[in-house]
Amino acid sequence: MDFDFSDDQEMLRDSVRKWVAKGYDTERRKRIVQAGGFSREAWRELAGLGLTGLFVPEAQGGMGFGPTDAMVVMEELGRGLVLEPYAQGALIAGGVLSACAAQPAVDGWLEKIAGGDALVVLAHQERGARYRLAQVETSATAAGDGWTLSGAKSVVPAGDLADAFIVPARVSGAVDDPAGIALFLVERRATGVKTRGYGSADGARAAELALADAPATLLVPAGGATHAGHAALEYAVDIGIAALCAEAVGAMDQLVAVTVEYMNTRKQFGVAIASFQALRHRIADVKMQLELARSMSYFATLKMNEPAAARRRALAQAKYQLGVSMRFVGQQCIQLHGGIGVTDEYIAGHYFKRLTVMELSFGDTLHQLGEVSNRMQDTAGVFA
Amino acid sequence: MDLNFTPEEQAFRQQIRSWVAENLPKDISHKVHNALRLSKDDLQRWAKILGKQGWHGWAWPTQFGGPGWNAIQRHLFEEECALAGAPRVVPFGPVMVAPVIMAFGSPEQQKRHLPGIMSGDVWWSQGYSEPGAGSDLASVKCRAERRGDYYVVNGQKTWTTLGQYGDWIFCLVRTSTEGKPQTGISFLLIDMKSPGITVRPIITMDGEHEVNEVWFDDVEVPADNLVGEENKGWTYAKYLLAHERTNIADVNRSKRELERLKRIAKAEKVYDDVRFRDEIAKLEVDIVALEMMVLRVLSGEKSGKQSLDVAGLLKIRGSEIQQRLTELLMLAAGPYSVPFIHDAMEAGWQGDHVGAAYCAPLAATYFNVRKTTIYGGSNEVQRNIVAQTVLG
Repeated sequence: MDFDFSDDQEMLRDSVRKWVAKGYDTERRKRIVQAGGFSREAWRELAGLGLTGLFVPEAQGGMGFGPTDAMVVMEELGRGLVLEPYAQGALIAGGVLSACAAQPAVDGWLEKIAGGDALVVLAHQERGARYRLAQVETSATAAGDGWTLSGAKSVVPAGDLADAFIVPARVSGAVDDPAGIALFLVERRATGVKTRGYGSADGARAAELALADAPATLLVPAGGATHAGHAALEYAVDIGIAALCAEAVGAMDQLVAVTVEYMNTRKQFGVAIASFQALRHRIADVKMQLELARSMSYFATLKMNEPAAARRRALAQAKYQLGVSMRFVGQQCIQLHGGIGVTDEYIAGHYFKRLTVMELSFGDTLHQLGEVSNRMQDTAGVFA
Repeated sequence: MDLNFTPEEQAFRQQIRSWVAENLPKDISHKVHNALRLSKDDLQRWAKILGKQGWHGWAWPTQFGGPGWNAIQRHLFEEECALAGAPRVVPFGPVMVAPVIMAFGSPEQQKRHLPGIMSGDVWWSQGYSEPGAGSDLASVKCRAERRGDYYVVNGQKTWTTLGQYGDWIFCLVRTSTEGKPQTGISFLLIDMKSPGITVRPIITMDGEHEVNEVWFDDVEVPADNLVGEENKGWTYAKYLLAHERTNIADVNRSKRELERLKRIAKAEKVYDDVRFRDEIAKLEVDIVALEMMVLRVLSGEKSGKQSLDVAGLLKIRGSEIQQRLTELLMLAAGPYSVPFIHDAMEAGWQGDHVGAAYCAPLAATYFNVRKTTIYGGSNEVQRNIVAQTVLG
């Protein structure tokens, strides 16, 4: 048992932190938000640091790193409030495609992801599904050597600018049957693919994706009783959850630091507001939620390589804690600032909005509570 | 980063587990698993079994007869004991006064007191709180006046846990009224059989006699019983509090109690009620998060790389979880928590239980555990401490 970071991981953290400090200041971030919420240039800079290939094997030009390295990167991107969908385009895409690298469909994509030449994102959200991963209406039909997909996906990160999508679609079964879901790769520029982009609540970019007999290549077959496609989708989402947990810790860490500084400088009634016990107890509660969140972020990352059942249970526990923490820390840090906290000009509100969107991603807090509740065993604990 | 214990640590855990399975008396673990009343004999029997093995002072270094375990080993020992249903070791001797005697006591005091603490033969009590000194501990008034080779002690201590069994008591006493309140306090070891000491019970709202008032009326205490220097007692008291790190969270016992909660919730058919089960699920996440925080502290202590100053957070969270557990246990039994039959909380009671036998102590335990957010520095005081570390 050891929660120290290796020297290599500390170096990785330093390099991301330096890039954020030098290359991603609030002015640039504001420009990216105004330009639509995604910068291909920033994405290429991340690739230049080798980061988009974090989960891509070395043979395909990546770094072949693991979950803890991803956590380190995500914490720093969260601290810097980076808009580009790194968890999606690097970690989920790299992780999922590496896991099925033998499929012809993957050919060449891992290299392009590592090089920053392709943005590949998961497009799984459907209107009727909320956070239920087995609920898939988009249909897949075998056509010659390949497949065609029809249906609609929502809130796809940078969807109108991405190069390809990882798409869960139904090959058989009822609308909520996990046995009939396969994963496909669909290129954005293919026939029958339409996107409609928009800004998201945190200033980033998302899109609606419409598929009408769009050509697709198979990544993970449905697998019938083995639920292989559904299992791969769960794995993809768990990569996303672990990443969001770490990103949230970085974001909260910075938001708390900003708030503490404000409390020590802002004066009312002739003294720093940090001297008022009502506010001191509030920041103590905030610190509690931050450390619980950090603990569960570690937990999520360190459970990523466990068997699926244990991994799912742990990731649901982690995302539940993070949901509670993000909402509390976000709301209280705005409150502790008073009026300045609700302005667009000040940074705290932007952290608040990002934390809010993260709670709504990959299963909100109530959803995760249900997951934990349904997966409870007789014993519980870190090693149970 | 690695979540798992090393093979050596796991082997150590296994060794402790087997030893506890062989040596913990079943009648005692039965009481602990069912929250039934523990007698002095139960507590002392277990203390002496540990003492014989040299583990009653399980956190002690080898030079004082302890096993010299590191932080991880201590944690594993505590966890195995807790999960097996061992009673909580009464901390005042082995966990509280012993480290102070080791660090600040004279060689004579060490020779005189440490063996009896380790063996479990001598029962120690804590004389800290007073009617006018609760959270504001530095305002203790209990007076010790030096007269020749003796201190003469006059005053009152309160909330003395299990003081009715005490052979000895360590006290914070006022030896000077000059300067700041903290600078006039001394740390005194007092034989509770000394003439002039009266122990009076305080019955708590669960109907139990767990805490006491201790009165001192011209009690003569040999000056040799002063630990360290006169008027330096506050420093030693703070050392004692700082010694409590992770086991203040008591997460191991909470894991055991969560299992009990699930068993009772299933038996009472509320486990299938989503609204109730979700409350258990929340608590389960709280416990995992607390355990992770404890493990982070242990890892930091082991490697010495990152020190994590979260003792206040552990105390707040650990105590809140303990209270929530007893609350949900009581709610699980619902109306069957209402009957309050004193004898039914005793192991082996032959009377007719109302509802199931496990219902009998649930309300009493809930009442009792209100203390956890108050003692050991109230949670509000802990928040002041946490805020100090955050805001500077």
